[in-house]
Amino acid sequence: MKNILLIGWRTLTKPSAYYSLGVLVIGGFIAGIIFWGGFNTALEATNTEEFCISCHEMENNVYEELKTTIHFTNRSGVRATCPDCHVPHKWTDKIARKMQASKEVWGTIFGTINTREKFLDHRKRLAQNEWTRLKANDSLECRNCHNFDYMDFTEQSERAAYQHSTALAAGEKTCIDCHKGIAHQLPDMKDVEGW
Amino acid sequence: MINRREFIKANAIAAAAAVAGVSVPSLASNLITSSDITKLKWDKAPCRFCGTGCSVNVGVMDGKVVATHGDIKSPVNKGLNCVKGYFLSKIMYGKDRLTQPLLRMTNGKYDKQGEFAPVSWDKAFDVMAEKAKATLNKSGPEAVGMFGSGQWTVQEGYAAVKLMKAGFRTNNIDPNARHCMASAVGGFMRTFGIDEPMGCYDDLEAADAFVLWGSNMAEMHPILWTRLTDRRLSAPHVKVAVLSTFEHRSFDLADNGMVFTPQTDLAILNFIANYIIQTDRVNKDFVNKHTNFRLGETDIGYGLRPEHPLEQVAKNNGKTAGSSTEIDFDTYAKFVSTYTAEYTAKLSGVPVHKLEALAELYADPKIKVTSFWTMGFNQHTRGVWANNLAYNIHLLTGKISTPGNSPFSLTGQPSACGTAREVGTFSHRLPADLVVTNPKHRATAEKIWNLPSGTVPAKPGYHAALQNRMLKDGKLNFYWVQCNNNMQAAANINEEAYPGYRNPENFIVVSDPYPTVTAQAADLILPTAMWVEKEGVYGNAERRTQSWYQMVEAPTGAKSDLWQLVEFSKRFKVEDVWPEELIAKKPDVRGKTLFDVLYKDASVGNFSLDEIPKDRLNHESRDFGFYIQKGLFEEYASFGRGHGHDLAPYDRYHQERGLRWPVVNGKETQWRFKEGSDPYVKPGSGWDFYGHKDGRAIIFALPYEPPAESPDDEYDLWLSTGRVLEHWHSGSMTQRVPELYKSMPDALVYMHPDDAKARNMRRGDLVKLISRRGEVQTRVETRGRNKPPIGLVYMPWFDASRLVNKVTLDATDPLSKQTDYKKCAIKIVKV
Amino acid sequence: MKNLNIKSAITNLLAVSLLTVISISFTVVAADKLEINTVATLRDHTEIDTQKEPNRIYKVVNKDIKQGRNYPMQPPIIPHTIRGYEVNRNNNKCMSCHSRHRTEKSQAPMVSVTHYMDRDGNFLADVSPRRYFCNQCHVIQLDAEPLIENSFIDMNSLMKSKTVNTDQH
Repeated sequence: MKNILLIGWRTLTKPSAYYSLGVLVIGGFIAGIIFWGGFNTALEATNTEEFCISCHEMENNVYEELKTTIHFTNRSGVRATCPDCHVPHKWTDKIARKMQASKEVWGTIFGTINTREKFLDHRKRLAQNEWTRLKANDSLECRNCHNFDYMDFTEQSERAAYQHSTALAAGEKTCIDCHKGIAHQLPDMKDVEGW
Repeated sequence: MINRREFIKANAIAAAAAVAGVSVPSLASNLITSSDITKLKWDKAPCRFCGTGCSVNVGVMDGKVVATHGDIKSPVNKGLNCVKGYFLSKIMYGKDRLTQPLLRMTNGKYDKQGEFAPVSWDKAFDVMAEKAKATLNKSGPEAVGMFGSGQWTVQEGYAAVKLMKAGFRTNNIDPNARHCMASAVGGFMRTFGIDEPMGCYDDLEAADAFVLWGSNMAEMHPILWTRLTDRRLSAPHVKVAVLSTFEHRSFDLADNGMVFTPQTDLAILNFIANYIIQTDRVNKDFVNKHTNFRLGETDIGYGLRPEHPLEQVAKNNGKTAGSSTEIDFDTYAKFVSTYTAEYTAKLSGVPVHKLEALAELYADPKIKVTSFWTMGFNQHTRGVWANNLAYNIHLLTGKISTPGNSPFSLTGQPSACGTAREVGTFSHRLPADLVVTNPKHRATAEKIWNLPSGTVPAKPGYHAALQNRMLKDGKLNFYWVQCNNNMQAAANINEEAYPGYRNPENFIVVSDPYPTVTAQAADLILPTAMWVEKEGVYGNAERRTQSWYQMVEAPTGAKSDLWQLVEFSKRFKVEDVWPEELIAKKPDVRGKTLFDVLYKDASVGNFSLDEIPKDRLNHESRDFGFYIQKGLFEEYASFGRGHGHDLAPYDRYHQERGLRWPVVNGKETQWRFKEGSDPYVKPGSGWDFYGHKDGRAIIFALPYEPPAESPDDEYDLWLSTGRVLEHWHSGSMTQRVPELYKSMPDALVYMHPDDAKARNMRRGDLVKLISRRGEVQTRVETRGRNKPPIGLVYMPWFDASRLVNKVTLDATDPLSKQTDYKKCAIKIVKV
Repeated sequence: MKNLNIKSAITNLLAVSLLTVISISFTVVAADKLEINTVATLRDHTEIDTQKEPNRIYKVVNKDIKQGRNYPMQPPIIPHTIRGYEVNRNNNKCMSCHSRHRTEKSQAPMVSVTHYMDRDGNFLADVSPRRYFCNQCHVIQLDAEPLIENSFIDMNSLMKSKTVNTDQH
């Protein structure tokens, strides 16, 4: 095993003596496409709800809680899957988020939250991560679907229309400030602003 | 400058004044300040609904109840009510209040197949008396029966017991409390030899841990829940454990919430006992001094009809079902050693670490623990066992009868304790824990009632489930239902109650303020006065006896249950109901009516009308010529005074927000069986379980046994039924309050979203719940306050238009005869 | 002219409502005529062994319009949906609008002062834990029409009729 790695390393570090520059460039380009495509396919595969809930921590806790909420079942059947809210759509943000997520995989392997109780113990920290992220990006993942410009306040309840047309419109508040716990149960909200 | 609304308001008043032809002053025109106009007459009454026994203040103006609120002077609720309690003002004013007796007639004559038509009270009682006498002549006292209530006042229950057991000489009287806490009674009698909780609500402020066994206090005992919440949130060390077969509102406060497979509570209870023993935390001193161990009979059947296959295979479902043999501690320890954490976790579906956290609350000697339970334990084919097993774990640790240490059986109805249990309106009971099967007890009753020996029959009568079976079989032919809605409550009505009521051999009378489902199945409906339209006494779950005065007149034509019972007794001469040899033992009763013998000439008639405050209404007493509520109460109280059931003099209750019996030397008792708190405890004993002659409580070895019916391939779901916060029982009062109706109009079936998906259903779908006995249609609910696990659904029974009791199974606890409403097997199909 | 119309409309309305009050109290006293030939009032007049098709699941009234109270001590009805509002050991969503220090922002009614009292009537610095679970007393309303009318009389109607009477004498 060690030998194979060693040979591979040497091949990669040795300057090319057998292939023309053209072959190298074109070959590299094709390999790049294949590699890139594979990477993205793999990335996309991790970007589905099936992947998320293949871990029982996700399925038994957050996904189970999602089932009764408006983001799962509602009037028009447009529903949010895990990545819709939790994975940024922009590539750079996505990669950054994915790198963070490796910690979650670590958690799965080492059983950090393998019981409901452990999950509940960590819930506040986990939730705060998401709130911080959404606060920082002005609730970007909310806004991917809920675009302020196209809200019809007359279709909203009086309370909602009032808050949206004032605090949200003025940029004083962002979605997550008021809509915490909209898709999952809340942690202990002591010392959380607005509670 | 006034705005538009103010303008309209000012004009409206001016317009009203113009209509009345008067002018109003231009200032303060929208505020009435005259105190004699704004004055309300306030008075106290216990709440009409659950067994918590809150006190409410009732505001009356011009003969109408116009406001109610929680009584700040009441130690129970200290000014609070639940949403039902806050709307008490409106329960009497449903537009369809009954005001005339209704008899099924064709061409002006009674006809079982006829339509309801109004008749006079005279005519109603004529027909009733004729039917009762015909039944007595043809088939004897055993064909006459009554189904009463834990919502009767104490006096009504007592008057009914006397009329049935002494007047008609039948023990076929049972209360709907049979559905509610008969298993609790069985548990108390078996473990302690005396009924009702030793603790009191003060335990709520003293405990360090609470365990809710199948009880959804948040909805069913909301005010006790406020006290528990208060304790949990204001003392951070306090822990709350909640066990149920599905997740409900009480889980919102749970530190340890556990959803278990139906029936496995028996195993969990035994596991806790085993855990206490294995971790060497038995309070040996307490156990040695104050307990005995017994091994109970097993394989006792399911209280179904004898020909049912389950009864055919059960070995000990006969008279021996309740028997037991003495064992020692080691035998008991060996018996419960089967219930290891792993075995119990596998059986119940509750993880080991949760079971152990639960057991630790009981085992840790430093934690004061209070257990609460209601229908989860009681409506159980092993309900008495579940009660016994709960007492076991409190007795093994000595955590009993001291503040905060309390095995607490809650009751469902406002006077399940006061009336059904203490008065003894059960088919086997007499007042103050006496039973009809004991000759000495019968003699005591006959002596107090001043009746010849042999008046009270020795054979227990038909209990609730059996009454419906006997109606169907044509063995029970004259039947009077008061103060309950059993056609909506009794299980399996398709096969038993409904054909029973409509059996042409039977005459069914139903007394109710409103046309209920039960009234609909009757032959004669009697319009009934309710709550503060009469004077009465209720007894709550902590032994608190509370009285109230009549505050308003009932709608003309409606009469209280008490008036109906006593007035009806006038229609019977002793000769109509008693055999000659009985009359010969007491010839002075000859020619008298049951009214004379049972009420007027008995000690019931001892108190004159002068004792009623002049400004008080009291339609019964003024009709009968004596203070009947006081007479009934005092005669009844004489059963228990000096025997551990002491009640204060009647008048005292009008001054107090209730008193907890035994009331000795004017003082109520908070914790029974504990020296220093209970005057009946022998000095120097520490604890004294004086219900048993040797002063010891019994720890029972009883196993887990499977339920009567479990899901299989065809009927693949568990069905549990129960109540909701917004409605009282069958909803006959609360469904007529618009605010309560609109908050919870229909009974939906709560299911897990995955269960719905697997059946191609979604929220709102029209579905049929089908069991081997019947079906009911409703709509699917996959969200909201109840979260059933996969494989179990919950449908409440408050909805008269969707009778879930067509589906439920009438299996009962063979010991308590209480029906199990919490588990049967069904399937659900789309309509 | 317009004012006059409003005035006469209101006069009519008032007269009608007065009449209704009177007729309601009348029917309570003497509802001797059965208008329907069945007593199944909560069952949509169906026999026990049958069942009408259950109505749809009703929707929550979400109009934010305060509903009048039947008497001063009645807990107000919740005039909006509370779907997903958690009230549990961890948090109380209702209080994020209705607590004293949130009402300025939310413009929601503040919980009444009684909620600050403990069991013994002492005022606490914040809402008493005994009042923690709001929905024990406060409930939403669905858009269902009551099956049966309720003839409860508001004390105001009784007082009004008395002021009219006293003024006349």
